[in-house]
Amino acid sequence: MSILKRRHVLARLASFAMAGSLMATPALADDHYPDRPITMLVGYNAGGQTDLVGRAAAKVMSEELGQPINVVNRPGAGGAVAARELQQAKPDGYTIMFHANTVVNTAPFLMKRVQFTPDDFEWAGFITAYQAGLVTQKESPFDDLDGFVAWAKENPGFSYGSLSPAARMTMNEIAKKEGLDVNIVPLNGGGEMINAVLGNQVVLALSGGIHSKYPDQMKMVAALTTFRHPSDPDVKTIDEFGYELAMDTRAGLYLPKGTPEDIVQTLSDALAKAQTDPTFKQVTGSASIPIMYLDADKAKQEMVSTFGKHGQIFRNAGVEPQ
Amino acid sequence: MTQLIGGFLDVLNLSTLVWIAVGVTVGYVLGVLPGLGKATGVAVSIPLTFYLGPVAAIAMLIGIAKGSTAGSAVSAILLNTPGEPSSAPTALDGYPLARQGKAQKALKMGLFASVIGDFLSTLILICLAAPLAQYALLIGPVELCAILVFSLTFIGGLSGKSLTKGLIAGALGIFFATVGLETETFIPRMTFDLLELDDGIPLVPMAIGMLAVAEMAIQAGNMRALDMEMAQIADSGNPDDRRVTRDEWRRCAVPILRGTLIGSVIGILPGLGASVASFLSYGATRKASDDPDSFGTGRIEGVAAAESADNAVVPSSLVPLFALGIPGSVIAAILIAAFVLHGLTPGPLMFEQNPRMVAAVYAAMLCASLLMLVIGYFGQSLFAQVIKVPMRLIIPPVLFLCCIGAYMESGSVFAIWIMLFFTVFGFFAKKLDFSFVTFLIGYVIGPSIELTFRQSLQILDHKWTNLLVHPIALVFIVLTAVTLVLLARAQTTGKNARTKPRPTGAEPQPSTQGRNR
Repeated sequence: MSILKRRHVLARLASFAMAGSLMATPALADDHYPDRPITMLVGYNAGGQTDLVGRAAAKVMSEELGQPINVVNRPGAGGAVAARELQQAKPDGYTIMFHANTVVNTAPFLMKRVQFTPDDFEWAGFITAYQAGLVTQKESPFDDLDGFVAWAKENPGFSYGSLSPAARMTMNEIAKKEGLDVNIVPLNGGGEMINAVLGNQVVLALSGGIHSKYPDQMKMVAALTTFRHPSDPDVKTIDEFGYELAMDTRAGLYLPKGTPEDIVQTLSDALAKAQTDPTFKQVTGSASIPIMYLDADKAKQEMVSTFGKHGQIFRNAGVEPQ
Repeated sequence: MTQLIGGFLDVLNLSTLVWIAVGVTVGYVLGVLPGLGKATGVAVSIPLTFYLGPVAAIAMLIGIAKGSTAGSAVSAILLNTPGEPSSAPTALDGYPLARQGKAQKALKMGLFASVIGDFLSTLILICLAAPLAQYALLIGPVELCAILVFSLTFIGGLSGKSLTKGLIAGALGIFFATVGLETETFIPRMTFDLLELDDGIPLVPMAIGMLAVAEMAIQAGNMRALDMEMAQIADSGNPDDRRVTRDEWRRCAVPILRGTLIGSVIGILPGLGASVASFLSYGATRKASDDPDSFGTGRIEGVAAAESADNAVVPSSLVPLFALGIPGSVIAAILIAAFVLHGLTPGPLMFEQNPRMVAAVYAAMLCASLLMLVIGYFGQSLFAQVIKVPMRLIIPPVLFLCCIGAYMESGSVFAIWIMLFFTVFGFFAKKLDFSFVTFLIGYVIGPSIELTFRQSLQILDHKWTNLLVHPIALVFIVLTAVTLVLLARAQTTGKNARTKPRPTGAEPQPSTQGRNR
């Protein structure tokens, strides 16, 4: 390589480097955001329900923003590993996370080592909600929670399928109030829950929402959310039955603390487009996941209020973080 | 039957066949690369299939699953690095065969066993999907727990020369499996406040560290001797070493059929996976053999047993999915999303509402089996060249691939630390002749036993008399007791026979240290 040529190459490298450093200055980034690909963390394995919704949302948002969004799976501790990684990322809008909000509004009350609060992140909006509920076999002798309680008093020693300490707490609270004798069977994941119900291993189980795929084999006796499920509007919520145990879970965008407000707003607006996108509707519709968009401001309020409310429910039930 | 012919008519057109071939090829390559498994491959490909017709899309996804299950044998045999954990037992005999210059033979047997297992299991799916699945739900936690306890007795048959060492390794496997959140109350066990350990020690980095990296470390230790040996063996002039002889077909027929059966049954049962199937099949074949001690030194039956079971799991795990809409495996769970997106809701209604499409999916699965044979056969001659490369050139890229493989699943450097930890562990296990198989069986089965046992306690209402309404569980409990008594007898009466010299000449012994286990 001749010296001349080498100089030429060096000069070009230098100009590249300068261009790079210019791009990185925040002032410019604000005007042109986004001008490079965005990384979207998902705290579950590829192929799960939340992952599929996240990928579909990423597709809509990247069309809207004109930059690719790369979905990166960082599974571990129900999303806490990914959330911690997001905390350490630069608050420039180029690292975002799509996840269930349980990492912040439920996990800290169950796990000592997870100590997130709503103030640890910026919230760019929620797009879907999980339709958690208490489910049973289609042919069960009871149709709602009151009927179940009456049946359970006659049948002490029945089995209840629990996916998590929160599911355990829900049943323990009902059992305490009504004086039921329950055996709580630990279950590992939604697939096992379906097997346990369809195989008549348990009489009742807490489902995170997957039961709506089995309308011919399962029915819901109470919704565990504050709202009635769009796919099952006739079933009353647990609060309506008088237990005050409803806890809402939503999926949406977490951003690192300190992300500029206009970037939060840009992302929030891009996420809103998913509401009307046909592919996104197809993905969520196929799994009966309701689209319930909350913008950035409402998302922040939702986090603050659910954080306080869920903490109160767990403390009232005497659940200590482990 | 007429439906199936109609299904073939839908599938046997150029574009559908091309997409199946693309799926199988992509899957095969993903399978060869350690760490990139079928689950990742299928999950990432689902969005790509939006643009295809439903049959082509589902056929392509199933092609990826099938191809990667077969492809994972290649790296297991050539590099001792299983492309997926379920091919770990393939490496136990496949790798010694490759070192003896019989890589092509082992690869071909691995492929043939894969294709046969896959094809037969697909037939089982077609014939029995609806009737069998009704029984799958009879197997609840109580039955599963009894079956798993029974399968632990295989540790006895797999321990090799020393039952004590086998038991120690198995117990260590169970010990490492207890790390992570306990399922009932989420109490962390031995996680040392590391969130990364909440979900337990991941199998892939652990297996890569113990099997591949430890092997590379040992090989680097006697590289010179290996290179000299390689110069002599790499070009085995004997054509019999490059193909599967008629005699070997005869010896492998039973292990392949047994593997297919084990794989199909395990696939249908919910909650177990391909790793359990391939380890159990390998263990059963070794136990049934006339000379169990020679396993691990390059017995072609070992490759056949592991691979046939591994591949048989994929189609049969779709049985509960098709018949009841219940996923029997991770891959089936991911496929649900794909099915629904393409307008097919898995479950009993699927057979009534879309019979033609179900038939087309069946036909596509059979085509995928045959395409796998063709693609694997030609792909192998390319891959098999690896064995001619000197060790000093192989070690660095293999270590690189190992790191990528460990990193891929969770995308964190933490997994590489896990890999390194188990490298040290595997190094000493190899040098001190502790069994990997019993360790991994303990690791894979341990958590399932614990969970099903705790579930059983609740379901039985803490009264053992309630066991009487679970006859399947009772059968397996009795079988376990009988096996234990037989094992104990064999231990005491077999002491004398054990000291006799083993018959030699049937299989060549490896000439280097540290490969016989």
